Amino acid sequence: MNDDKSHQGKTKTIKVDYLARVEGEGAMYLKIDDGILTDVQLKIFEPPRFFEGLLRGRKYSEAPDITARICGICPVAYQMSAVHAMENTFGITVDGQLRALRRLLYCGEWISSHTLHIYMLHAPDFLGYASAVHMAKDHPKIVERGLQLKKMGGSIMRLLGGREVHPINVRVGGFYRLPTPQELLAMVPELEQARQIALETVRWVKTFEFPHFEQDYTFVALQHPEEYPMNEGRIVSNKGLNISAAEFDEHFEEIHVQHSNALHCVMKNSEQAYHVGPMARYALNFQQLPADIQAESKQAGLGEVCNNPFQSIIVRSIEVLYACDEALRIINVYQEHSVQQQDDQKPDKPFIPFQPKAATGFAVTEAPRGLLYHRYDVDNKGDILDCDIIPPTSQNQKMIEDDLWKFVPQYLSLSDEKLQWHAEQAIRNYDPCISCATHFLKLEVDRS
Amino acid sequence: MKADALVNRTLSRTLIIGIGNRYRGDDAMGCLLADEISKAVSDKQKFNEQLTNTIDIIEHDGEPAALIDCWQGYTTAILIDAVSSGAAAGTIHHIDLQAQALPDQFRSYSTHAFGIAEAVELARVLNKLPPRILFYGIEGESFTANTELSGTLKRAATLLLQQILYIVNAEKKYA
Repeated sequence: MNDDKSHQGKTKTIKVDYLARVEGEGAMYLKIDDGILTDVQLKIFEPPRFFEGLLRGRKYSEAPDITARICGICPVAYQMSAVHAMENTFGITVDGQLRALRRLLYCGEWISSHTLHIYMLHAPDFLGYASAVHMAKDHPKIVERGLQLKKMGGSIMRLLGGREVHPINVRVGGFYRLPTPQELLAMVPELEQARQIALETVRWVKTFEFPHFEQDYTFVALQHPEEYPMNEGRIVSNKGLNISAAEFDEHFEEIHVQHSNALHCVMKNSEQAYHVGPMARYALNFQQLPADIQAESKQAGLGEVCNNPFQSIIVRSIEVLYACDEALRIINVYQEHSVQQQDDQKPDKPFIPFQPKAATGFAVTEAPRGLLYHRYDVDNKGDILDCDIIPPTSQNQKMIEDDLWKFVPQYLSLSDEKLQWHAEQAIRNYDPCISCATHFLKLEVDRS
Repeated sequence: MKADALVNRTLSRTLIIGIGNRYRGDDAMGCLLADEISKAVSDKQKFNEQLTNTIDIIEHDGEPAALIDCWQGYTTAILIDAVSSGAAAGTIHHIDLQAQALPDQFRSYSTHAFGIAEAVELARVLNKLPPRILFYGIEGESFTANTELSGTLKRAATLLLQQILYIVNAEKKYA
């Protein structure tokens, strides 16, 4: 981080050229006049990447692999939203063990992405370290534990996705290759160990000191009648919204703000911010968590709804614990299914056949950072005519700014250095992925 | 060989890691050079069987946890990556990572918060660096979305290939 502090007349400015420990490149600007916060801008300067333009004219089958390139941290989310949207376009449903294996792949990404943020990016904020490297000097065993847990997520992604980063084994209708039951069974001992580490993680992060900052959020997440949501469900909010993915455009809109290369997604008409991600999922789906994980959440100090974004690190750790549990459950069921079919190799075909047709398809899945919306218009040859991709960080950008508007005034009496620390921590609560949002941070505080 | 293929590897002495993204212009350099080194060490006329048994070459995306994991058990690791430090395009950089950290301006052309420099420093703190770890970088010219190296990078990569093969040959003496 490069700090440049200058005083020009009555204006006091703090510039941080690059905000550390967020994914991507961006900046933040705070203006303080006579001790009053007068401007907050989350500036995304990573250039636009025009993926939607790149997809036009491409085959439907290319969408999962091209969109996976949008992010090296959450490629599975892009693949899942892409294949579900295409399957919605062509009127097909992937269910049974193929559906379960997709959920297992998503478990791998949740474990890997959440663990990276918990241990390497967010925990140093709470423990007073500038980075995970500094934290590792005092807490080597803890950091090694985080690396081990992240590795588990990577192992799942490698087996199901063909490789850990930018996986290539997902296709419209299913997979290119299915894992054997033996390959899945071989992961069980490591997954059981990962579950224990995930439990230790929950019990570790709950000991952190959290600022008092409860907000009345509009949480938006998927909700499914039978499971904690990953790939499927209705888009619901705690303020009465209940829509399908096809209705997303009717209720949300992207608006351009001058200070950001990423569009802000807001509630249509009101232009109000809303909150997506682990806290929204948790608040709207607590009842779908297993009883022992619900109990662990309560022992960690959470209610059935968590309204303090600084406690999002606990919620993420709960979701990692759940993802380990769910992965073990899916593997167990896959084994049983295999035995019943008396086929020790592949209980199902890797994909279901279909014919492309001209139509428009929609899907929303739960990326680690929240809702990821895809829409595709496809012609009868399967060529993509138009598409729209709205990642979770675009949806959370205005929410982050809103949090800063409310949080920063509590700390205006602090030194610029401490104010900066708290403001950056407030941003990292959302695990923002700027690289996704530009499909974003340097800090600038202007005091006068 | 892809990194994934090393999961069940046996102990080997030298690991060459080509880091990059084949779809981001000059960022592909590490991957392409790994290909060329693989071909060269497979050439039995130039390298004997003993050597090919003591060297592994992988392509890697630079994901830190996996990176730290993949060089465990090796006595030497050589990291090859395109860099964007502000030097003239095509400039070849060499850094002994046992002696010094990867400077900020030599970080991989990546926007991710936890990258190669962090992986090396974390491994240093956790005593997970191999005894010898070298970084070779070439200053990139263009990191836009395409699959072609710039002419400047192609020329520099040819020179770096010779340097790395020279090191690999020297390693043979200690194999």
